[in-house]
Amino acid sequence: MSFWDKQPYITFVPFVMLFKLAWRNIFRNKRRSIITVSSIIFAVIFAVFMRSLQYGAYGNMLKNIVSSYLGYIQVHKQGFWTEKTLDNSFSPEDITYLLDHENIGYLSYRIEGFALASKDDNSKPVALLGLDVQQEKNRLGLDKKVVQGEYFTNRKTGILVGIGLRDIMSLRLGDSIIFLSQGYQGSMASGSYPIIGFIDLKTPELNKRTVIMDLAQAQEFFAMPNMVTTAVLGLKNDNWEETQQEVIARVDTNQLEVLNWNEMLPELQQLIAVDKAGGLFVLFILYSIITFSLFGTVLMLTEERSFEYGVLIAVGMAKNKVIIVAILETILMAITGIIAGLAFAFPVVLYFNIYPINLSGQMQEVVEKYGFEALIPTSLDPSIALSHAGIIFFIVLVVNMYTIVKIKRLEPIKAMRR
Amino acid sequence: MIKVTHVTKTYDDGKVRVEALRGINVEIKNGEFTAIVGPSGSGKTTLLNIIGGLDTPTEGNVIIGETNIAQLSENQLIDFRLNHIGFVFQSYNLIPVLTAKENVEFLMLLQNKSEAERDERTTKLLKAVGLEDQINKKPNEMSGGQQQRVAVARALASKPDFILADEPTANLDSASTANLLDIMYRLNQEENMTFVFSTHDQRVIDRAKRVITVEDGKILSDIYT
Repeated sequence: MSFWDKQPYITFVPFVMLFKLAWRNIFRNKRRSIITVSSIIFAVIFAVFMRSLQYGAYGNMLKNIVSSYLGYIQVHKQGFWTEKTLDNSFSPEDITYLLDHENIGYLSYRIEGFALASKDDNSKPVALLGLDVQQEKNRLGLDKKVVQGEYFTNRKTGILVGIGLRDIMSLRLGDSIIFLSQGYQGSMASGSYPIIGFIDLKTPELNKRTVIMDLAQAQEFFAMPNMVTTAVLGLKNDNWEETQQEVIARVDTNQLEVLNWNEMLPELQQLIAVDKAGGLFVLFILYSIITFSLFGTVLMLTEERSFEYGVLIAVGMAKNKVIIVAILETILMAITGIIAGLAFAFPVVLYFNIYPINLSGQMQEVVEKYGFEALIPTSLDPSIALSHAGIIFFIVLVVNMYTIVKIKRLEPIKAMRR
Repeated sequence: MIKVTHVTKTYDDGKVRVEALRGINVEIKNGEFTAIVGPSGSGKTTLLNIIGGLDTPTEGNVIIGETNIAQLSENQLIDFRLNHIGFVFQSYNLIPVLTAKENVEFLMLLQNKSEAERDERTTKLLKAVGLEDQINKKPNEMSGGQQQRVAVARALASKPDFILADEPTANLDSASTANLLDIMYRLNQEENMTFVFSTHDQRVIDRAKRVITVEDGKILSDIYT
């Protein structure tokens, strides 16, 4: 009969006793147990809140992108994104078959050009955007951003002007602006259009230089009938990565380019990457502190209990069972700390999800410069809490390696010498 | 039966070499009530530890029943101690977070004894040591004498072949010592339990049926009283 047959590694009844031993041991040194559990609670709250805030900010950025002008995926004439000229345009008919894709709900076409805007003695270079005004109204809620005048509700003529440009050029409703530009294939583009409303695009930079008109009107102005520079793909769900690959497989990539928001805004991706790395660095420091704190507890526990472990082994308790008791004690403290930490963190995270942090000052300017809301809501993604609970649990297991090695090497005779 | 043959124990840390035991030969039969006596540093505790499988001899054999424990692996030794040897320590060494009942029951749990068997034996043992009314007290709620009686009950719980007691009365007052010795003597008489003490307490020596005197790692005398 082997050793393990005679004294099984674990059976239910001894486990109850081992659990009882571990549980009661926690209360032998209440102050130390409270410090240990508190440090875990703090770590969980801090890590979960910090990461929720970070991921919430990214989520909000993404939401902004999706609901903003850019969209998840755009299709252009090959080379348009690097050289934004009207000559890099294409016919909508070239891609209407994409509507057959299960995740594409609609295609929103645009002309993105530039013009010199003049009113009386003032002139200013502006971004002249020709949009499918009904489609974009639904997608972007542009009508709700009109602060003065009206949206293209019953008409498709006239223009909407950014409130920044209004102030710079001292414009009023009903004024007409003369635009001068180069049209499609070098043609001359000029025209006069009445202002039907002023729009607040929530971004000072955009407000200073944006003029919106209906797509048909823009096609006429730029002399490019039935041509567009951009098609925004309206996705039914957030699975943009897979959809992009499938669209790339369907279109003639010699003629057209299919770009996602990451590719169109690489600086944003870099910003997120840098921010994530910064967050990880802070978490690394936090977890290092927690690791040493827990290791300190485990070290003290193991040293203090060496005599007791020696006695237990002397009277016939297998070392593996002694190890289980020792590890259970720290695991129980860790579980208590993790559960309490999550319980404390949840209402905080929930509060800041409902009432996001409002950025102000320079931070607000930087964020708005990218066209995003200066708000940071927390993310309620449960995987954040679970992953950090898991990390702390893993740390507990790692620091317990010391206990395992110590007990494995323990000689009862030496341990029982006070 | 415990048979110790040609046992030597040398401690050598590279700087100092100490010969704790020098060729010990001794046999202890079942049912004996034996005291190993000698001055501090004589080697009596080392001999007791080697008999109990807590230490290994440098040379020689320790045969308990039919098992040469000098040849057992560490895990086999732990298991052997659980099932064959009961220990009573000088400073009781009860598990502080367990009650008297749980301390006595503990080794039986490790032996996977049934609940009914555990309950019956625990009650019987605690009654035998006169602590049937203290079963739910933790060690820090009991006197030294009471703790040592619980330690004796714990040592007996696993139904060992013999009990090794290292200076069991060293921390006890006269009344507690007399009471403890009465209990152990009765268990020896009534249940033929073998007791081996290391001691220099004259009260224990006076009650022993056999006194082995150790000095400088050798047996100086071996007297049946």
